[in-house]
This record gives sequence, C-alpha cells and structure tokens, in this order.
Amino acid sequence: MLSGGPAGYGDAAPRLLLVDDDPNQLVALADQLRADGYQVQTARDGDEALRRLRTAWPDLLIIDMMMPRMDGLTLAREIKAQADLPIIVLSAIDAGDSKADLLEEVAEDYVTKPYHYPELRARINRVLRRLGDKVPRQSLVLGPALTLDLHRREATVGGETVQLTPTESRLLYALAANLGKTVTTETLLARGWAETEDADPSYVWVTMRRLRQKVEVDANRPVHVQTVRGVGYRLVSLGEVVDG
Amino acid sequence: MAEGTPAEEAAAGHPATRTPIADRLAALEEAELERAQREEADLDALLDRTENESSGGLGFGLRLSFRSRLTLGLMAAAVLPLAAFGVVALVAEDLVVNDVDTLGRVLLLAIVIAALIGILLAYLLSADLIGPLRAIAAAVDRVSAGDLSTPIEVPGEDELARLADSHNRLAATLERRNRELGQILEAIERASPRDGAEFVAGRAATDARAAFGMIDCSILLVDPRDIPLEERIPGEALPVRAILQTGEEELGVLVGHLPATRTWERADQDLLELFASEIGVAIRNAQLFARVEAQNTQLLELDAAKDDFLRGVSHNLQTPLTSIRVYAHQLQTDRPDQRLDIIAEQSERLSRMVRQLLTVTRLESGALHPRIEVLSLAPRIRRTWEALAQSQVELTVNDASQGWLAVADIDQLDQVLWALLDNAVKYGAGSPIAVDIDVEEASSRLRLTIADGGPGVAEADRARLFGRFVRGQETAVDDGSGLGLYVSRELCRAMGGDLVLEPTVAGRGAAFSVYLPGEPPEDA
Repeated sequence: MLSGGPAGYGDAAPRLLLVDDDPNQLVALADQLRADGYQVQTARDGDEALRRLRTAWPDLLIIDMMMPRMDGLTLAREIKAQADLPIIVLSAIDAGDSKADLLEEVAEDYVTKPYHYPELRARINRVLRRLGDKVPRQSLVLGPALTLDLHRREATVGGETVQLTPTESRLLYALAANLGKTVTTETLLARGWAETEDADPSYVWVTMRRLRQKVEVDANRPVHVQTVRGVGYRLVSLGEVVDG
Repeated sequence: MAEGTPAEEAAAGHPATRTPIADRLAALEEAELERAQREEADLDALLDRTENESSGGLGFGLRLSFRSRLTLGLMAAAVLPLAAFGVVALVAEDLVVNDVDTLGRVLLLAIVIAALIGILLAYLLSADLIGPLRAIAAAVDRVSAGDLSTPIEVPGEDELARLADSHNRLAATLERRNRELGQILEAIERASPRDGAEFVAGRAATDARAAFGMIDCSILLVDPRDIPLEERIPGEALPVRAILQTGEEELGVLVGHLPATRTWERADQDLLELFASEIGVAIRNAQLFARVEAQNTQLLELDAAKDDFLRGVSHNLQTPLTSIRVYAHQLQTDRPDQRLDIIAEQSERLSRMVRQLLTVTRLESGALHPRIEVLSLAPRIRRTWEALAQSQVELTVNDASQGWLAVADIDQLDQVLWALLDNAVKYGAGSPIAVDIDVEEASSRLRLTIADGGPGVAEADRARLFGRFVRGQETAVDDGSGLGLYVSRELCRAMGGDLVLEPTVAGRGAAFSVYLPGEPPEDA
C-alpha cells in the first residue's frame, strides 16, 4: 500500500524540495527519492530554497539542520512564516536534545543522522498522509477545560499547559480534522506511525489511553476523546452537535 | 551540572560571617548597659545620701530649693528643742515657779513637746523631699526594666529637678541609640548578596541617614585614603566618617553630616563603625556573589559553546558517513559485493560512536529529554539486530510480553539495544544470543534480557562496568568507546527504567537486563 512509495496520493507524484549544503548528500538523496517516484527539486542553501518557494510550493520540504549562512532552524521558521508547508529536518542531534525540541516547534518531523533511507521515506510518507487534513492554525477550543494548540504541540487542560508528544499531536490532528466524526483505528495507526515503526492497533489503544489521561479532566469519564468501541475514536467539542 | 551551587555557598556563607559582628553588637549593648547601670548607681548613691540627710529634718511643704529645705529641716530638728528649752526656762522664771520639782517637770514637758513638734516637722519635710526622690527611684527602676520612654516630672529648678533632667537625658540617649541599633540591625538584615554591591551600598547609605538622623550620607566604594578627612567647624554640620572594613581589607568609606546640634559621642561613633563594617561584609558578599554569578554565566556559555561545537563536529562527521552509506547501498543494488556491506556497516558503526559521544555530553548537561512513545520491544530488537548485520551469530527472541508495550524514547532505546547487542556479539565468542522479554505486571514494567554464551563478566569488573570510559580488564566488555554501558544505563534511567547486569549463572555468559515502564495492550 503505502510502504513502497508515494502511491495513493492522487495522480500527481508528491513534490519535494530538498535543502542541503552538502552536494554529495543532496544528489544521492535526490536520486533515491526520484527512483521511488517523487518529484524532487534541490536547493544548496536557505536563500536558494526561499527563491524556489516564490515560484512554486512543494508538498514537503526536507531541510538539513546545519548549513552555513542560514541554518535549518532559521529556514524552517522563515518558511513557516510564509506558508504552512510540512517540513522534515535532517539532523545529527538526537531526539530529546533541547535543540531538537526547538526543531519540533517548527518541523513536522525530523530524522536523526545517520538515517536509513527506508526510515526517511517512511517518515516522508507519514507526513504526506496528513496533507489533506485541514486544522485551523489558531487554538482549537473544545470546551471550558480543553484547548488544543496543535501547531505548538500543546493542550491547555483546566488552565494548565500540557505538552503533547509528536505522536499524540499527530493523532489529534487526524481527529481534529474530522471533529465530531469517528476516525478508525487503522487511519490513526497510519497517521501516527511510520511503517518502519512496526506499529499495530495496540499502539493506538495505549497512546489514546495515555492521551486521555493528559487531556481529560477525568480520564475514566472522557468528555472529548471518546472511544467508539470496535471502530475507532472521535474528538468531541462541547456544545457541538455530534453526527454519527 | 550543579549550577548555582557556588552562589548558594556564597549566600550560605553570609550568616557565618555575622558571628563576630553579633559578638561586637552584644559587646556594645553590654557597654551601653554598663554605662546606664553606672549612672544609675550614681543616682542611687545620691538618692541614699539625700534620703539619709533629709530624714532628720523638718519641712513645711514650701516651694524652696532642695538645699534650703534640707537646711531648714536640719535647723528645725536641732534648734527647736533648744529654743523650747530656752522659752520654758524664761517663762518659768517669770511665773516664779520656785518649786524645783515643778520647774523640772515643766521643762521636761516643754522639751518633749518641742521634740515632738520637731519630729513632726521633720516628718512632713522629709515626705516633701522623698516624693520626687521616690519618683526618680521608680524611673530608674523602669530604665533598668527597659522602659526608656517615660520621663520623670520634677518641677522646679533645684538639684532634684536637675537630677531628674539628667536622668531623662540619659534615658533619651539610651532610647535613641537603641532605636538606631534596631534600625541598623534591620538594615543589615535586609542586605542580600543578590542585590549587587552598588545597590547594597546605596541602600545602606539611605538606611544610615535615616537611622542616625544625618543630613546626608553616602558610601563610596573607593580606597578610604582617597577621601580626605573633613574638618569639624563649630556651628556647622558635623562631619562623620566610618571605614567599611572586612578583616584587613578596606572596601570603602561611609561619609555623612549630622545637624550641628546633634551630640556625637564615642558610643555613637562605635555604632556607626559597627554598621559600616557590617555593610562592608554585605558588600563583600555581594561582590563575591556577583563574581560567582559571572563565572557561572561564563561556564554556562562555555558549556553551550562546547555543545554547539560537539553538535557541529557530530554533524560534520555524520554527513559524509551518511553519504558513504547511501552510495554503498546504491552500488550494492547495481553490483552486489560483500565488501560494500562492510563499508556500509563500518560507516554505521562510526556514526553510532559519534552519536554516543554527543549523547554523553547531552546527559551531562541535562539537555536530554526523552521523547516518550509507546512501542513493542520485540520488533525493535529485530530491527536493531538487522542493523548490526551479524550473519554468523544466531539470535533468538523469546517474547513473553503478552502484547505489553514499552514506554520509551525510540532513538534512545535504539542506542541502548545497539550497544548491548554489539557487546553480546563481541564478547559472546560466537555463541548464540538469547533475548527474553517478560512483563512484571505488579510494577507495570517490562524486562528485556540480552544474554550471550561467552565467558561472562569477571567478578573484578562487575562493580565498575557501568563507569565512564571503563573497559573490562580480564574480559573486556565494551563497544569500543568505553561509554556504551554508561550511556545505556543513563539513557534507561532517563526513560524511567534501568539497566542491570544479571548475576552470573553457570552455563550462561554476560546477561544484561533493560527495565522499562510498560502498558497493557487493552483497548480503552
């Protein structure tokens, strides 16, 4: 299905913009991605990337974190200020580093070097899967005790700010894009995890259970994150008419 | 890193430096008290004297000076009986009292009456004298008890009134010094090293001005010799000065002016100097604190610079390594060659080691925050095993997790599993590697044990195995950098788990267990 490449995103192949100051890496990665059916454009630095953005917007950007002149973080911020284009950052910094936290604020995902190409491809596909989701950029007020700021990976629960993990916010994105409607466990699985992560439905169950403990005032009597037994989950905004 | 600790020490050192000052304060108070007691004793002596002298006198409650009343009393007591005797003698002669017996009786009666009158007069006078003396005695008692605010009211201009006056002045001075002492103690109490030397000095000057009632006061943090002494000109504002001294060091000088009318005694100067030296200590603390803060900031900057440097180095090493692997992979697809596998494998290994170094610095600077997700352990171990590409060694995974998911950071767990499997391959002497995954439901933990069939860990190495840059001596247990187990254990702990070396079991080699928080797989 999705694991082989970009099939299943309509007719056109996804357009990627690759930004890296190292020509070897740029060429090698571009070749591999083209071989897998993506349309790939390349830029050698941040300025060139911004120039390319003036003529056409890609579906996704892949940016190397460390570049001379404009670093990846600065470029990612610059791009996000112009348009909400998904960004994957390539970085030698481990997840969990304070710098990586900064990256997560602006990038959809980042891949730690040394990365394996199949891993990167899986992450690209996971990000592309949510392209159709339309979630407002501003705060999403679901009720008196819950506000979501998915772009910042934050929830405000009863006045307290709670950090969401990348997976949790990906799941909430998928749920929020279908507010009030049931999203199947399979869909959430595909949105939350890349194929390389060996996820099965129990990943969705456990993550949703943990998420509920974070965002619900009483996790045993959930108001917003509801289980539709045997089907999936839905996100409910208080005061909104729930269909189906 | 224990940032802020030196600063805390500086702050904690502050109360310790107070002790000699507290002693000095106590000494000063004692001296002050002694002075008061001495003056009180003088007063008491005077009182005793006057009381004794007046006890035999006469008084009429007249508004006479103390001395006049005393003189009158004495005279009355001495002269009245004599006069009475004389009068009776004269009268008796006139009345022609020939009877000697009668005359003697009359004379005796007259003397007795005169003496009674004299005693009565003396008693009245002494009551008049003793009143103010009692009042003074009571006031002195009040002063001893600490009440300095109630003055003694003795009307008139006589010696007693002057005595009362001088007592009142003494009490007022004592009270003023007490108040000043209280104010400067409060000011000293307020000085915090966090405020900075300039601020402490500025506030201390304001406090001193308020406490001592100065016209102006400033604290100059310069060599006191640079500030010339001011001459004292009668009728003009009175210059005062005290050096801010801490031990041998002179930090600065307090200079100010008092109203010309204000008296300035030794005790006042002592108090000011005490205040100055205490403020000196506070300023010194503030300066030390600022220095420690500056050093801390500098250290943090250096640390950040080191982090950036390591990130840069790591990045610059990872980028070519990634290229090497990508190209090796591409070539392998075109023209399969086992040597390309080795190139890819070794470049991966190098990448891992660089990454491990970066992780160590993250761990040490506390910049590592696990990004917790849920994951199944068995597939993770198989993937890591694939990445190691060890075709000669057999791996068996016995998964008894019943679908439980571990709560961990995938990247960090990956580093841990990689290091442990790599060790097992290296020190297992080609023996098969056994991985067991079980659930400890009671504690909601998952345990993953990696055991090889090698010689195991020597007893001597067991205790020090998880140290930094440690290699086994007899049987080296390490992944090459000497950091593998140290980093792995720290990473496990950062994820709320642990890494332990299992006890030696006959027939089994080294066995390491990773503990991680777990979650049951039920739908909810």
